[in-house]
Amino acid sequence: MSKGNRDRLAAKRIVEQQKAAERRRRVTIWTSVAVVAVLVFAGLIGWAVVAKQDSTDASKLTTPTVAVDDGTAFAVGTGPVTVDLYEDFMCPICHEFETQAADTITQLIADKKITARYHPVAILDRASNGTEYSTRSAGAAAAAAEGGKFSEYHKVLYDNQPEENSDGLDNAKLIELGKSVGLGDAFATAVNDKTYTAWAGKVTDTFSSRGYTGTPTIVVAGKQLQGSNGSIPTAAQLSAAVQAAAG
Amino acid sequence: MHWGKAWPWISTVARLGLSAVFLVAGALKITDLDESARAVNAYRLMDYDTAKVIGAIQPFLEIAVGLLLLIGLAVRLSAAIAALLLVVFIVGIISAWARGLQIDCGCFSSGGDLAAGRTAQYGLDIARDAGFLLLAGILLWKPRTRFSMDGLLMGER
Repeated sequence: MSKGNRDRLAAKRIVEQQKAAERRRRVTIWTSVAVVAVLVFAGLIGWAVVAKQDSTDASKLTTPTVAVDDGTAFAVGTGPVTVDLYEDFMCPICHEFETQAADTITQLIADKKITARYHPVAILDRASNGTEYSTRSAGAAAAAAEGGKFSEYHKVLYDNQPEENSDGLDNAKLIELGKSVGLGDAFATAVNDKTYTAWAGKVTDTFSSRGYTGTPTIVVAGKQLQGSNGSIPTAAQLSAAVQAAAG
Repeated sequence: MHWGKAWPWISTVARLGLSAVFLVAGALKITDLDESARAVNAYRLMDYDTAKVIGAIQPFLEIAVGLLLLIGLAVRLSAAIAALLLVVFIVGIISAWARGLQIDCGCFSSGGDLAAGRTAQYGLDIARDAGFLLLAGILLWKPRTRFSMDGLLMGER
């Protein structure tokens, strides 16, 4: 091989190496651009989905006329101390709380010591095999409140609470329970038409925006009441907190 | 066996493993964005409106990162973004731990406050995320993998 030939081959190899390096550089740049574009796009989709969901919910929102606290709760009683109760009808610990404290609450209401404000939140929709029992039961409770039977219906729903992670009670059963406490056709229509589904979402959003994350959340005169070691408060602790708030 | 030849295979396993982690984590949240928002809110690091946006974007991002790793596009960058997300998650868990919050990390579920009587598993959550971070680290260090878009575009066989 002549010297000239060797030089030409060497030069050719260098050019090829440069070409390959150039190609790698181009590929790296464009794939990086593609990755960033994909991620930005994915983020935008998430943002758009929520924005759309919010506007759909807003357009479907029917607020029960009897609701208080910016239309997100039902008041029982007329006492000076406000007790806010955030509960999910699917939540077993709420059931536990109701079982041990309902009599005390009823008594405090009867004695005109407290105004109980019930906020039926829906944070356990995942626990009913896709039937969204939390939302359906909260909506049914709103319909019951419109029919003037919130307390009665609230009680009957806890008395008949379904197992967590079961299908929950179906709409027919929700209506049947309503009839058992004296609710009529308007109630049945509201349950079947999902009239208060968006409203249940609003109650839950309000609950979250107040910084609460679990149920039951019990708030006495604006102050969250907790039992020892973060457990649910007992009836006695509730009475004591009400006493303290009344001064 | 020569290590130089083994690395692309080790990296391939790391890439597909990390991809599966992100795809599963995203898929478990994307079906209920309200819950995802509440899971973010449970960390009590931002107001609820912000948590709502973050909670909605997060599962889409996770799935996007998972898909990018699956096809192997710009593996080093994808792995860097995955690592960044993991660091953010770990910092979030540590901060919840430090503040004594009792929450489910919401890593592979919708999270939220723990029911009374259940204790948070922060140590395990962090160890698991650190393991995923290790996978991302392998890819950052040795981004060449088999069956990847990168390889295809670079003209590798």
